[in-house]
Formats: sequence, structure tokens, C-alpha cells
Amino acid sequence: MAAQPATPASPVNFKIKSPQVGKPLYGCEHLQRLFNQDQATTNTSISHFKQILRRILDVSPVLKQTAKPVEGPPNEVAVTLTPTYHCLQCPSIVTEEDRAKHGTKKAHRFYVDSRSGALYCQMCDDLVWDSTLEDLRLRKFGTGTFSSNRKRKHDELFASDPMKENAQYISTHTTMGSCKANGLRGIYNAGATCYQNVVLQSFLHNPVLRNYYLSDGHQSGNCPNTPHCLSCAMDDMFQDFYATENTNGYTAANILSGFWISEKKAFENLVTTKEQDAHEFFQFLAEELHERNGDGKKPESGSEHKCNCIIHQTFYGKLQTTTTCMHCQSDTNQVQSFLDLSLPLENLTQKKGKKAKAQSMTLQECLDEEYTKPDKCEYRCHNCQSNQQARRKTSIKRLPNVLSIQMKRFEFKQGRNERAAKIDTPVQFPLQLNMLPYTNRADTREAKENNNELERSCTYDLLSVIVHVGEIDTGHYTAYCRVGDNWFAFNDHKVEVAQISDVLSARAYLLFYIIRSLA
Amino acid sequence: MSSEGGAKTGKAGVIVAPDDATVMDNLAHSVLDDVLYNIVHDLLIKVHRDEKMARGNTAAIKVEKLASDASESSAPDAKPDVRIETEAAIYDDGKVTLKGNPLKTTKEILCPRCHLPRLLHPTDGKGARKPDPSVIYCKKHPYIEKPGFDIYGQTWVAPGPGRGKKKKDIEQKKLDGDAANSPAAELTAKDRPPNVLSYPSATCSKCKRCILVTRLNNHMGSCIGNSGRNASRAAAQKISNGGSNGGSQNNDNTPPGSQKGTPLPTSRAASPRKRDGDEFDEDADESDPTNPKKKKLKPASLPKKVILKTKNATTKKEKVKGSSMLNVEQKIDDVVKNSTVQVAPKKSTPKGPSPAKKAKPSMVAKPPLPSLASKKGGKRDRDVESESSGTLSSPPQ
Repeated sequence: MAAQPATPASPVNFKIKSPQVGKPLYGCEHLQRLFNQDQATTNTSISHFKQILRRILDVSPVLKQTAKPVEGPPNEVAVTLTPTYHCLQCPSIVTEEDRAKHGTKKAHRFYVDSRSGALYCQMCDDLVWDSTLEDLRLRKFGTGTFSSNRKRKHDELFASDPMKENAQYISTHTTMGSCKANGLRGIYNAGATCYQNVVLQSFLHNPVLRNYYLSDGHQSGNCPNTPHCLSCAMDDMFQDFYATENTNGYTAANILSGFWISEKKAFENLVTTKEQDAHEFFQFLAEELHERNGDGKKPESGSEHKCNCIIHQTFYGKLQTTTTCMHCQSDTNQVQSFLDLSLPLENLTQKKGKKAKAQSMTLQECLDEEYTKPDKCEYRCHNCQSNQQARRKTSIKRLPNVLSIQMKRFEFKQGRNERAAKIDTPVQFPLQLNMLPYTNRADTREAKENNNELERSCTYDLLSVIVHVGEIDTGHYTAYCRVGDNWFAFNDHKVEVAQISDVLSARAYLLFYIIRSLA
Repeated sequence: MSSEGGAKTGKAGVIVAPDDATVMDNLAHSVLDDVLYNIVHDLLIKVHRDEKMARGNTAAIKVEKLASDASESSAPDAKPDVRIETEAAIYDDGKVTLKGNPLKTTKEILCPRCHLPRLLHPTDGKGARKPDPSVIYCKKHPYIEKPGFDIYGQTWVAPGPGRGKKKKDIEQKKLDGDAANSPAAELTAKDRPPNVLSYPSATCSKCKRCILVTRLNNHMGSCIGNSGRNASRAAAQKISNGGSNGGSQNNDNTPPGSQKGTPLPTSRAASPRKRDGDEFDEDADESDPTNPKKKKLKPASLPKKVILKTKNATTKKEKVKGSSMLNVEQKIDDVVKNSTVQVAPKKSTPKGPSPAKKAKPSMVAKPPLPSLASKKGGKRDRDVESESSGTLSSPPQ
């Protein structure tokens, strides 16, 4: 098959994937015949397939949606919103209706769907999923490129020696969990600990953290830390969720005791039997895990802390604040790392309230307010050597792999006995979030010209949502987490299937988005 | 087609413009219809891909199985040098190729990991179908969607006083959605199905005592926390209870912080349901002999417990209870070692403010031992130890 001698006409020889156990080699018999003709046919087919995928994704959508009629005058093109079919064996683009006609006329049997890149085989009269072509399709749709050796955002995450990439090595060093162990378990409420449970669930279903712990990133067996290491407790919990068949709730006793024993002064007020803020617990857990896994230095808030620990690789990004002096127009940049983005709703609700009665807003509006609009401030300009009015703009310099967003759903009522109140305004958040407008590259020419690729690298998918119901000082936390394409609602020890509509209509307090492509 | 202004609808033909519509109306309708078509198209492609690939892989797994059966070689990795043909696929020299469309030739889906057939419909709730009892299915089941039950079809003993719930919480729950809790509450303990779980206990990492999970935080607050009012309360209680802690049946396990959880006298009158809850527990005690099998299992898990509980357990009179927290799957598979035993010291604790003085043995169950070999052998053992010590209940306050 693919191992035929290369012909001089084709310098690059495309290879069919080597056979894998438990998977058919080809999508269908007809594709098998195509790939087994000779190397030249295989080469043209695969290079043409890649060309079609590039046409689908990289250029103006008008091109891929314009079909030429098979019969009749050739200038009578049809632009359609619905899928067109791109012939794999010639450059024609046809509509679904004309597909059969093109097939009879030219004896071309394979077509690529313009929406999904899926391959249609006319002889099967069905879509076929060939392992070789699927690989290319998924890589192109996922990362925007066919090459797998691209510089990744976090090289350390993928640092691997080639020996360990070997399939043989992996299979001999892996213990497969049961088919039943899927990480979907509740966590018992140990008495007003739902604020911990929701954060733990969002960590458990965070693929970056899961892969870290399940690949022995932190082995509780040989951990040099104190006996009550919180990272060891996390490791144990990941093992329990992903390796046991237990479907009953999990008792997070080790996490809880690690939490009680921890001596974090900043979170002293958290350590109590009362109801607490999930966001504070998230910060606590992140800092604690950073200290257990990272360089040991305390993450100073506000500074540009450099660390390669799993928490930094997962959650930390960088913000850049540019202050422009109104007098001399000189810029000062300040870079800070951030664990999460906090979005105040207070101002925006007031603004909106004045404008109209529309008591709903979107996440993007909140982000716009914080990261695209400059505000005025006063500062001491080094250039002018005096205090000057200045324009300050904050934008994101480096996006994290997992973006956590907090909606500040509370406001302080001014007065003698200051009381906090909860803002219950619904904020619409998308399943798919484009963060490009909030980065410091948003206004560059690169962003405007090469929008597609840059935008893809800034696209996030919703991963989990933490919801608070009730009043400011008492209430209950629940979490929605995505596992693959399915959503689940976690309410302490209870896990239920959730509909996307439930998730999107929730009054989110914390949102976790994961970057679509790590490339 | 949206490009032709005259068309009344798009490709799906669902959103149709009225007869007297203007050209713009027609265009709007056909665009909307096309968009609808695309949404359905994308959904279908996704489902089609998952299903067809699963069936194709199933065909490959089956034919590979036949090939390895046909060859004499016992080496699992060796590629048998045989040619096998089924109606769905051909195995030849380590390569599997499809015959025909797997959606037509292959009816079931085999799990790529354990090679057992997948159960394709949930066993309960929405879209439920009875599984074929003669087939051993892969343990990954479709998730159950049924109000009041979780994705595995489990439900829990409704929280009540003495089971770590404050009055406030219960009332809150009632407001939130009574329906969700009712299935468990309406069952009497005698015919409580095996998928009704009760709350487990866990060991406090400091004092090594077993605490009902719902009180764990409170307990740790006073045991480890040492902060604020709780600490002083705990200290005060320790002093007053100090003598009885050693060997007494009554107060030995009372978490010092649990004073907070004591329901106010009014709570009993306010919610009659909670009383019902108590009565179920009483019943559960009597249902003991109906479950001899599980009782027999007790010695299996006892030794570990005793080791851990040398201080308290040996001095205590224990009553073995037969209620279990087996879930459905475990029941079907009859995995004996996963069975659980419940132990609760039976006693009546005089309750100060409560008008109804009542014995309330709490329902405590140990989570099943993890039965499969974990990635990390040594570590698992430690886990088991800490979890299995949950067999002993803390008595109700």
C-alpha cells in the first residue's frame, strides 16, 4: 500500500496511517481502493484533501460556499449558506443536488463537506470517517495547521523525551482504569463546604490539571512535603475519581484537613465552619497547590511572578497596564500576572439601569468595560517630573490556558452600617469566547490582517460554571462542568445530566474557559 | 437558495414565507431556514461520526478477536498470520479493512477498552429500556436522567435531624424543590432499594475518630481549627465530657462542635417529616435479619477497622446493621467484596431541649472498597485505610 517506491514526480510522499489495533484501516472499501492504486494517487488525494481544508478554513467563506453548476452555463454560480461539496479528485465545488451528476459525468466519487470537512463517499452514499483523513481534518480544525511540530504556548507542559512517546513504553507503564471510572462523582458536603466542592469539581474536570495528576505529576507516595500536603490530597482525589468504580459521593476529608491545617494567613477568615466564598477558596487552593508544586515562593499578587508549576501553567496569565501621560504622551507599561479576571457588575448595572430597563448584559460587555476602555487617573510622570493627568488602559498580555473569570456579584451599600448586597443581574456568557479584543494585540495590524489565525489562538471554550444561589451571606453553591461534549450538574454529592440551556441560563459567579488549541 | 430572492424558503423547508411576502421577507425566511438547516446538519454530522466510528471499531475488534482465536500463538501482541472474514470486516496480515457500511453490518457497539458490549439505553428514567439479563455489558452505562436521582440512578436518605442537617438547611431544601427529595423520603427503610445511599463517615486526620461526613467540617473546625468561639466551646465541652470520653458508650464520639447542629426544640414541631425520617431509621434496625448475606460479609472488613479503632471499637458494644449502600450495578454483578456493612452503636442519648426523646442510630455506611488495581498500588492502600475506617458511625448528638 503506502510503502510503494516514490515516483520522481512526487517529492513528498503521503503515508496512510499505520494499522491500529481495534480500528479499521480505511474509512470504507472504496477509499481503500483509492489509496491502494498507487502512491501518486494517494499523494494527490491527500494533498487535495489538505487543499480543500485550507480553502474551507483559511480563506473567505464566499469561496467555499460558491458552487458551479454541473450543467448549464458555467457562469451561473450559486452562493449558498448550506453546505457545498468539494470534489476530492478535481477542483469542482458542487451543490448537494449536483453531486450525483458530477459523479456520473467525471466518475469522481469523493466529496468534502464545506461545513465540517467530512468526507462523503458516493458509492457508500454516506459520510465516511477514514483514520488518515480524520487525523488531518481534526488537526486543521483544532489548531489551524497540519503540522504537529509547532511551538506550543507552554513547552514545559509537553516536554517529553521520545522514548516516552513510544506506544510500547506507554502501554507497559499504564494501568487502565475501569470503564466505569469516569471522574463523575459527587462530593459530600461536610457541613457548609459546598463552596469547596464546586471548586474541587471544577479542578477535577479541568483537563490540564487532570492530566497532570493522572500522569503522576505529583505523587502522593513520594512527596517530600509535610504529611498534610494539599497537593497529595488532590492526587488522592484524582485517583479516587478516575481509577475506582465507586459511584457514591466522595468524602474530601484529606482536602478538608489539609485546608484546616494550612497556615495561610491571608485566608485565615476562610478557615471556619461557616459558609464561605468559593472564589476565595479557589485562590487559596491555587496558591497552596502552587507552593506545593512550584518554586515554593509565595505568589506575590501584582508582581510578575515567574513559575513553571502546574497552577501557573494552567491558570496564570499576564495583564499589561499602559499609562499614557496626557501632557507628554509618554507611555509607561506595567505587567502583572493574574490568576483570574474579576469583573465588576456594579457600575455596569447602574449604567444600564439608567439607559434602559434591559436588566441583562453579556460577559463581553463586562470585559469590554474592563479591558478595552481606558480610564483616567492621575500619576507622577517621569518625563514631566510632575503629577499629570493620565490615560490608563489595561489589556491582557498573555492569555492563560484556563481562563477563570469572577463576576463580582456584590456591592457595598454606603452608610453607617456598611452592608454588602448581592447583584442578581443575569449575565449572558457564551459557550465559545473570543478573547482577542481584550489582549494587547487587539489593535495591532497583525490582528486586523491575519484575523483568522490569531482569533483561533484566542478562542476559549466554556469548561465549568459555578453558581451561587441565595443571599450574600448564606446560600448554596452548585457547579456545572463539561466532560467531553456532555454537561453535568454537581450539587454536592449529587451528579445529574445538565442541558446546555440550563448551563447558559445559570447566574454564574465563577466561569472557567479553556483554550481551544494549545498550539 | 438564499441567492434567489424569489424562493420562499431555504433548504430545510421548515420556515416558509407567506404567499404575499415581499422579496426581502422571502430572503429573510430563506436565510433563517438555511441557518436552521446548518444547525441540524452539524448536529447530525457529529452524531453520525461518533456512531459510525464506534461501529467500525466494533467490526475491527470482532474480527481481530476471531483472528487471535484462530491463531495458535499465545503472545498477545503478535499479529496472527491468518485471514479472517466476517460480514463486516476482513482481517489480513495485521490489517483490518471494512466490508460495506458498518452502520448496516454492525448492530452493537463494543467498548474499545474491555471489548464488552456497551449498554445503549439507560436502565431507568428518560428513555429507559430493560437490558438483556443474559449479556454482560461494559461497565460504562448511559447516564440516567430521572428527577430525584443522580446519573447512576442513586438517591440518598433524606437528611434529617441527627444526620447532620440543621433546621434551616432542611427548610431551605423544601423551598428549593421538595420533589427532588421525596422519592427517598417516601420509601420505608424495609423496601428501600439498594440505590438509596446514606451518608458515609470519614476519619478525622488529627484525632482519628470517625465523623459522619456532614459534620466533618464542624468537627475539624474544633479539632484542628483552634480558632475563635468554636475552640473555646470545644474546650469547654472537652472539660465537661472529659471523664466519659474514655470508655462510655454514650458520649465517646460526640463531635465537640456538634452543639451547633442541635436542632432547636421548635424544629420538631415545625417539620413533621423529620420525624418520619427518624422512624425509618428505626425500621432499618429491625430489618437487620432480612439481610443475612451482608451480615456475613462483615468479618471481611472488620480486621482493618479494629486496627484503626483500637481505642474505641474494642470497648464498645456494636450492633451490626444489614442495610447496605450497594448500587444497582454492584448488585447485578454481585461483587461480593464491594458489599458494605453498616455498624451503628445503638443507644439512646438523652436530648436536652428536645421534647421527643428518641433513640436515633445514625445511618452510616462505608464506601465500597476500591476494587480495581490502581496506578499506584501503595497509595491505594493508604486511601482504603482512611476510607474504610468510616465503618463506625458517630452516634447522633
